[in-house]
Amino acid sequence: MKPISHPITRRESIKKLLKLSGSLALSGSTLLSIQNPRPVAASSTANSFIVDAEGKTPGYAIRDLVQKTVDAAGGIKAFIGKGDVVAIKPNISWARTPNLSATTHPEVLKAVIELCQEAGAKKVKVVDNTIHGARRCFAITGAGAVAKETGANLVVPRSSLMRDMRLNGHRLDIWPVFTPVIEADKLINLPVAKVHGLSELTLGMKNWIGAVGGRRYALHQDIHQTIVDLAQFFKPTLTLIDAIRVMIKNGPSGGSLADVAVMNRLILSNDPVAADARAASIFGYAPDDIGFIRLGKKWQLGHYDTEIPQQHEVSV
Amino acid sequence: MKSKHWVWIRRVSQAFFLCLFLFLLIESRLPQDIIIDYSQSLEDSQELRIQKPIRFFFQLDPLIWLTTLMADHVWIQGFAWALVILVITLLLGRVFCGFICPFGTLHHLIGAIKSSLKGKTLFNANRKSGSQKIKYALLVTVLLSALLGLNIAGWMDPISFLFRSMALAVIPGLGNGLTDLFGMLAHSDIKILNLMSYGEMLVWPVFGYDYRAFQTGWLIGFLLLLILFLNRIKPRFWCRTLCPLGALLGLFSGFSLLHLKKDKAKCTQCRQCVMTCQGAAEPMPEHKWQPAECLTCFNCTKTCPEDALSFSFKRPASKQALPDMGRRSVLSGLAVGAALPFFGSLDGYVHAVPPGELIRPPGSLPENEFLSRCLRCGLCMKACPTNVINPTLTEAGMAGFWTPTLIMTQGYCEHTCTLCGSVCPTQAIQDISIAAKTQTPIRIGSAHFDRGRCLPWSGNGPCIVCEEHCPTSPKAIYFYEDHVIGPGGQMRLVKLPQVDLTRCTGCGICENKCPVRSKPAIRIISAGETRSRRNRILL
Repeated sequence: MKPISHPITRRESIKKLLKLSGSLALSGSTLLSIQNPRPVAASSTANSFIVDAEGKTPGYAIRDLVQKTVDAAGGIKAFIGKGDVVAIKPNISWARTPNLSATTHPEVLKAVIELCQEAGAKKVKVVDNTIHGARRCFAITGAGAVAKETGANLVVPRSSLMRDMRLNGHRLDIWPVFTPVIEADKLINLPVAKVHGLSELTLGMKNWIGAVGGRRYALHQDIHQTIVDLAQFFKPTLTLIDAIRVMIKNGPSGGSLADVAVMNRLILSNDPVAADARAASIFGYAPDDIGFIRLGKKWQLGHYDTEIPQQHEVSV
Repeated sequence: MKSKHWVWIRRVSQAFFLCLFLFLLIESRLPQDIIIDYSQSLEDSQELRIQKPIRFFFQLDPLIWLTTLMADHVWIQGFAWALVILVITLLLGRVFCGFICPFGTLHHLIGAIKSSLKGKTLFNANRKSGSQKIKYALLVTVLLSALLGLNIAGWMDPISFLFRSMALAVIPGLGNGLTDLFGMLAHSDIKILNLMSYGEMLVWPVFGYDYRAFQTGWLIGFLLLLILFLNRIKPRFWCRTLCPLGALLGLFSGFSLLHLKKDKAKCTQCRQCVMTCQGAAEPMPEHKWQPAECLTCFNCTKTCPEDALSFSFKRPASKQALPDMGRRSVLSGLAVGAALPFFGSLDGYVHAVPPGELIRPPGSLPENEFLSRCLRCGLCMKACPTNVINPTLTEAGMAGFWTPTLIMTQGYCEHTCTLCGSVCPTQAIQDISIAAKTQTPIRIGSAHFDRGRCLPWSGNGPCIVCEEHCPTSPKAIYFYEDHVIGPGGQMRLVKLPQVDLTRCTGCGICENKCPVRSKPAIRIISAGETRSRRNRILL
């Protein structure tokens, strides 16, 4: 703005006022409507751990396996405090029955919810912006039954819960976010391990595609970078990858028992890259084989599983 | 029992059936609280069904029963109720119109709230007029064209009309408006407005959270408003003048055992009975009572200050008036009724191959049988969880106007969903099982690529969103890696998608999720549909 060197006339002052208020209104409508992310408790890399759990006894209880996995990491109370609002992000995006393992195993989901409740969580929300119709997904995947049994709050995705936010990613700048995912004290990522046609695998970091709205089908044009962009925005307290039943082909939708292999594994970590890297090994991939794991390390979202100081193995 | 009591019984019955209808209409969707016991679904898959089906109202409707019987020579299960209604009509007259029909009740209510007619204009409007013959012409048209194989009953049938109007226009219109309102409140930075957005929890059980859209929804809504507005010209204009079901019941009630007994000596010509008459059935003792027009509302016997009117099972001394159909209205009804099926078959794709965009819901009958049964009631469209089923405009020709078609840019047919067939009142869409749908498989069309628009094929980059969503196992969309020339001439290694027609069921989720939005790069055409012998592709 040029400095004023003469007495200001009435006409000029009105003009200036109009300009000022106009630009304020404009900046208000663009800037104010975009919310900056509220930080969710981030895990420190120094205290990274990884727990690799396996159910070896035939007919073991999934509840026990989850309990033992979390105990090896220091118990649920190390992560969830009394009075916390916890958001759990499973993958319940496909209206498929649990045996087809296109979605997070309902018993794993139930065990995690119960652990959070035992730790004194005020409220446990189950959040996923589903691909198939949410009602059918909730009914068929078992998530609805689990929510009813545990009293967890199963959030129906809807337009009023989507909000444009600044992701500050490499490819994704402003994108609609499913707000219940971030409006929580603690966030637990609970994906199911599957193969995927484009990204090879879908594990923890890719699960965040279900935490946003908007033109999700456009993300595939740079799938690995967009996954990493999302992963640097959503910072979970814990990532627990469900590899109890694993889809080994025809992913990510599956649809046949021939696509499923029973692995009885769970991977728990507070390092999202390490969790994905270890889960990738179940499918026989090295971390470098998978684009988003490689990029995740490059963008310093975490480390490969072999670099993690605290390694635990448990079995039931 | 006094006639005053009968009026109250009628009002209670009307309120009950209207509320029941609206309740079942709202519940005609995937139940909100349905869950499957997952320990059992680990073993097998269960069908999701609507617990409170509205089909009962359609099964009460003798016009639907008669037209499906005439057009497709089938007796659809559950339609014995229609016979009960016919027997009641033979005994007591148009009790269905007066006591049960929710559309009639709606008209009655609109006329009663604030009548625009008073005094002499009301008296004249409530006298029998020649326009009341129109409904018989419409009935004859509907019945004759049904006999010739085209069932158009659903266009005018009151139950279908009301369901279609409410489900495809009124409820989605209000629902979208409320969704907009609460979306605006939720995105407000003012705390109190933001908190008010939780009000959506209250409207959600009725309207749902999703935006719904229906092709020609504006026309469906406008016709409802128009027909409701006609009540200002004459009370219950629709019931007297247009309703073909009313005409059918009128023909039966012309021989009913219940008569209006008039005592001419007591009548003081006060005209109160005519003023309250709903059917323009001439209740005044000096006129001849028209049993075919009487809606058995009991208003005349209640209003008469001199007790000159009463209903009685005794046969009156003078001869009863027969239903006044009118020779000309019958003849014109016959002419139109004969012409419609023949003209309709010209563009109705009964003999021709249907156009690519006519995708019928899974389990639909072959086209000619489909047109002889479909009521165009919109029940499948209301029930469909993805909003993919829409009323046709021109896709199915004149004969198929408002029949269901799938618009994949709006939704997709979910692989393991069989809800539409389970609700169809006339089984134009068969009630199929998930196993039959996915294992046979029942195809509704087939997918094809538009390589010029497809991102990998046109060299514009990686995508395969279609392959990701394809629900069959193994997938009907597969890909191979190859180099394509991208913009600027450089070679790009991409995964190129292809369709395997032996696996594709035409579900359309590929078209729905394709990043090319307005006209997707992969689209469903009806070719390959199981229901048609002529429209199949593979040997």
